[in-house]
Amino acid sequence: MPPRDPRFPPETGHDRRAIAAGSVAALVLTAAILAGSRSLDNFDVALLGYALGTIFLAFGVTYRTVIWAGSPAARRYLVRGWKALLAKPGKSVPVSEVPRTLISTLLLQRFIAQRSIPRWLAHQGLFWGVVTATMITFPLTFGWIHFRAVAGSESGYWIYVMGMRTAKIDALGIVGWLAFHGLNFSAVLVIGGGAWFLHRRWRERANNLTQLGRDLMPLIALMAISFTGLALTVSSVLMGGFGYRPMALVHMCTVVLTLIWIPFGKFFHTVQRPAMIGVHLHKQGTLGSDGALMCRSCGAPLEGAVFVSDLQETMGELGLNYAGWVNTCPSCKRIARGAQYREQVKAGF
Amino acid sequence: MRSKNLFIDPGRCIGCQACVAACRECDSHRGRSMIHLDYVDMGNSSAAMPTVCMHCSDPVAPCAQVCPVDAIPVGPDGVVGTASAELCIGCGNCVHACPFGVPKLDVAEMLQYKCDLCYDRSSQGLLPMCASVCPTDALFYGTYEELLEKRPSAEAVDVFEFGEQAIITGNAVVAPAGRNDAIPGGYSVWSEMDQDPT
Amino acid sequence: MARRPLLPVLAPGVAAFRRETSRPGRYVSAERGETRVATHCCYCGVQCGMYLRVSSNGKVFGVEPRGHDINKLKLCPKGVTAYQQVNHPDRLTKPLMRDRRGEPLREVSWDTALNRVVSEIRRIQQTYGKDAFAVYSGSSLATEKCYLMGKFARVALGTRHIDYNGRLCMVSAAAANKQAFGVDRAANPWSDMLETDVILLLGANVGECFPVATQYFWGARDRGARLITVDPRETPIARTADIHVPLRPGTDAAFCNGVLHVVEREGLVDSEFIASRTSGWDQVRDDLPEYTPERVGHICGLDPALIEKVGLTWGRAARAMAFHARGIEHHIQGVDNCLSVINLCLATGNFGKPGAGYGTITGQGNGQGGREHGQKADQLPGQRSIEDPVHRAHICEVWGISDEELPREGTSAVEMVHQAEAGEIKGWIGICNNPMVSMPNHDRVARGYDALEFHCQIDFFLSETCERADVVLPGTSWAEDEGVSTNAEGRVVKYNKASEPPGEARPDWQIVCEIARRLGHHADKFRFGGPRELFEELRVASAGGEADYSGMTYDRIEETGGIFWPCPSEDHPGTPRLFEERFHHPDGRARFHAIEWRPPAEEVDGKYPLRLTTGRTVAHYLSGNQTRRIDALVQQTPRPWVEVHLSLGFVDGDPVTVTTRRGSATYPALVVSSIRQDTVFIPYHWAGKVAANLMTVDALDPTSRIPEFKVCACRIEMGSEIDVPPPPPVPPGVREYEEVGAFDRSQPSAPQGRGTGRG
Repeated sequence: MPPRDPRFPPETGHDRRAIAAGSVAALVLTAAILAGSRSLDNFDVALLGYALGTIFLAFGVTYRTVIWAGSPAARRYLVRGWKALLAKPGKSVPVSEVPRTLISTLLLQRFIAQRSIPRWLAHQGLFWGVVTATMITFPLTFGWIHFRAVAGSESGYWIYVMGMRTAKIDALGIVGWLAFHGLNFSAVLVIGGGAWFLHRRWRERANNLTQLGRDLMPLIALMAISFTGLALTVSSVLMGGFGYRPMALVHMCTVVLTLIWIPFGKFFHTVQRPAMIGVHLHKQGTLGSDGALMCRSCGAPLEGAVFVSDLQETMGELGLNYAGWVNTCPSCKRIARGAQYREQVKAGF
Repeated sequence: MRSKNLFIDPGRCIGCQACVAACRECDSHRGRSMIHLDYVDMGNSSAAMPTVCMHCSDPVAPCAQVCPVDAIPVGPDGVVGTASAELCIGCGNCVHACPFGVPKLDVAEMLQYKCDLCYDRSSQGLLPMCASVCPTDALFYGTYEELLEKRPSAEAVDVFEFGEQAIITGNAVVAPAGRNDAIPGGYSVWSEMDQDPT
Repeated sequence: MARRPLLPVLAPGVAAFRRETSRPGRYVSAERGETRVATHCCYCGVQCGMYLRVSSNGKVFGVEPRGHDINKLKLCPKGVTAYQQVNHPDRLTKPLMRDRRGEPLREVSWDTALNRVVSEIRRIQQTYGKDAFAVYSGSSLATEKCYLMGKFARVALGTRHIDYNGRLCMVSAAAANKQAFGVDRAANPWSDMLETDVILLLGANVGECFPVATQYFWGARDRGARLITVDPRETPIARTADIHVPLRPGTDAAFCNGVLHVVEREGLVDSEFIASRTSGWDQVRDDLPEYTPERVGHICGLDPALIEKVGLTWGRAARAMAFHARGIEHHIQGVDNCLSVINLCLATGNFGKPGAGYGTITGQGNGQGGREHGQKADQLPGQRSIEDPVHRAHICEVWGISDEELPREGTSAVEMVHQAEAGEIKGWIGICNNPMVSMPNHDRVARGYDALEFHCQIDFFLSETCERADVVLPGTSWAEDEGVSTNAEGRVVKYNKASEPPGEARPDWQIVCEIARRLGHHADKFRFGGPRELFEELRVASAGGEADYSGMTYDRIEETGGIFWPCPSEDHPGTPRLFEERFHHPDGRARFHAIEWRPPAEEVDGKYPLRLTTGRTVAHYLSGNQTRRIDALVQQTPRPWVEVHLSLGFVDGDPVTVTTRRGSATYPALVVSSIRQDTVFIPYHWAGKVAANLMTVDALDPTSRIPEFKVCACRIEMGSEIDVPPPPPVPPGVREYEEVGAFDRSQPSAPQGRGTGRG
């Protein structure tokens, strides 16, 4: 039997807490839907599947997040990161650093541009496609937003938010046209980005430990959603509604399955990365102040003192009993091991 | 577990860095070498030692354990992968928790890179690049039996000692025949100093 | 005639690798839709097999290890990155020309460039005589081209001045082999090492200069053999040797005589072998009493006990092999040094058996093939002598010329440069060499080249020598043409074409044949359609010579993974092991040569108290024209250094100025305890202010005319500013190298380069 992975403690208490948290999240979302749709008055029953899928998503993401945040390394970083993010501006890092990090890392994802520009373009496509699609669809399926025709107008609609009439929109005007076709734009962005990633997977010999479920399925799911969604537009605009209803059903299935999948596949990074956004501020802050440590063998700069002590505590919790080794830089670790091999195992051939 | 592993013999190493050059040629990470070649006796001799990921099995992959976002995959065959590009936040925990000093960090890319036993090659029956080109078989890839066939007097040890911690690894190092004890990991020098406040 | 099977000894695992080599030359790999071209490495004399990966649009983009018999998948860092030369941005893609020295080179059409070359050849030869035009060739060319260069000089130009850069490489060994055995080739295939008991390795930094050959040495040790290394530096292969002999540079012959003294004194000579298969032992034996271990220890700076130990180990071995390389060959006593090693093998009967033999390890890819087929000053194809009437008659017949038309013996490479300085040689075509890095005493080399009225250089990168030329013609890299190459064992292997030449570059043979065509003299003798036709003529020309290729065909070479010459007929399996029954002198006996040790050309004195020795480092090759442009190799070893013993009081990175009677340069110090206290070392691959050959002495061996690269007198002192290596020259229009960063000034972590952990 392989040794137990101490990242996932067997005690059931934690598990139960996660289930409870997930259930609370699902209940809260349900309540919000009820409230926002005026007790389902404005709820579109055709979108029921989507709404149920999202409620499950709320459960799943919360459950997974609680489990994840319970592992020693994640817990420590979450605390450190959010403290750094919410700290009094200018205390440990310059005031401009927080918005700069949020924009360059979360929205522009400049670190991906460092990996390669095509990859960055593709990821931006996926990112903005998914973000816009989510912003449009979630309120619609929850019944938080709905439209009612303006009496006596052929293309005018009232926008209702949380049951309250807000603004009028002309479906044939520019804003209206954009709003009603927003999802099509999202689909095009997603398909563009997804195609690049799929092409990469296809061309390269099996990438590092690529697993169908973990790596490929999410991409395929996003592409399926986008294509079936576009097919709906094609059906209604070009084919006079031919095949619309079965296609709508297929589309809903792909969406719901993807929603359920999110907490378990690599999509979970959409939760993890924003949650960890403060970590870089934290590391920068601890390095900037007096807390930088030097490698005790060669004297080269190592990491912040807080980073090292955090890691050592994490290792202690995980039962890794060589936490003192962290004070030595990787290069000196290797050279020390090589030197001991020469002295104690064999020096020559 | 997989039957073929890397066997590392620093005694045979001539420090030529063919492994480093070849690692750059791997399709999954072209232009970036994940292997380390250190001159371990600088100023005295030309002794050198390559370092690849040892694929720790007990405790399983400390790098993966300390990862705050579970970015480092551990395959069913015990291969510890390089960090997933989607998940890795580039925090550096793995870099410093690895007892062998294996992972590399690209700060700008917020991404860790490490040896994954050339998974794209080895999973298809090709030799990992480093072991394929190593002119001296200081990096040898194969089964233990194949190693013995070539070097009858070799012993392979897959237990390392870091102070109080023993670590069992997937890859092994070669020792003289009959020497089965754990291989010192270089830490004992420091851990003794830690315990001795003078 | 019954023949022993090819390669009677198979290294473990060879059978499996044989299957790999039986793949057809070109096949489409299923995985990626790419083509892999089976070929060999372009660098050292090991000639490792490799696949070049070619994309669907015909670009070479990578390398895949190839399980060839020679290297069994293995490659060194140079081999791994060799493919990066093929599409390198620095490649010469257009002919370059300048009207007078001092002007920059500019791009011109082939027609303009070739017309200039031809008219200059005509002018110079008409004004000063045929011998006023010289051809200086190289051994990294495929054998067909080497053959062509010899024919071109003698038939098209009619000049006696043709020589090749092997003159700076292994020509001492060639001369010694010829004198001792009557043939110039390694006596055994390397797989013989796996069956030996003792290997004596002299002056060969195998771990760095022939990294992949190390597996044979390690394979022997895995099977219980003991390794003796002789080198003033404890190189990577010497580091773990059973016995390491750190002798003083320039004392090799004394050491070998001392070892032979012990062997003879202990009665460990093989009298039966000596009596039946050799001649000249008595003279050698008569000299031995002088070479007592005490005296030799004094000469070589060694503990006499070490010489006793080597003598006993060598003498008592049932089977022993000796290998050497440039370390003992680059001396004014280079030939004698090699002969003294051969004496050791002859006296103990170590020839012609598995695990018993001798060989030199050639430094250049085709070092062996390039010195066999007539681009050497005194030689005609097939290792024939240009002064032997029978040999001349054979070649005259093959070439269809009269004996009067065939020039006589010429002078050696370094001498030709000196003749240019003296105004005896006025015109020059160089191909495949870079003397502005590789020849000793640079000031004098520069004076020689600058005195030429016309200088044309053919290369595929703009070398430091091309930079001074009047016309530079863009040739091809090894991957853009086919041809054969002979490795250090005497095994003929085949390069295959993987890609078209870039831009307007043309295959070297095409350039040379075109010049011959335009010159018009015997133009019909240069109508070759390609390397295949050249090889067919080479087969005929070599037939009956010592280096007989007549039984080889391209197809046979590819099918077998290499054929050892002599191979006199198409059903002949080749000859992996020589001297099993007889040596190649007419009487079948090998010759002993009594060797008297002489001190090097330049002895140390009060003013220059240390010995400077030069050599290679693993990441670079010869003059560095190819390797100094490859990122991975430059990262590993960005610059030269001076290696000094720690007792001299320097610390790592100190600016240390090395001065000899000819020049001076300041390098970062690499302080080690693995070099002799009285010796300093500088790697020679760099040009300009940091070129080691600014300082080396151009004294020559009287027989082989090899320069004494390996020892001269020097002094060192703390300098101020470390000299910066100049970036590699690039053709007009190509972005120049930045000096900062890529050429940083700190010393490496070790002689093999910089560890990956730092910097």
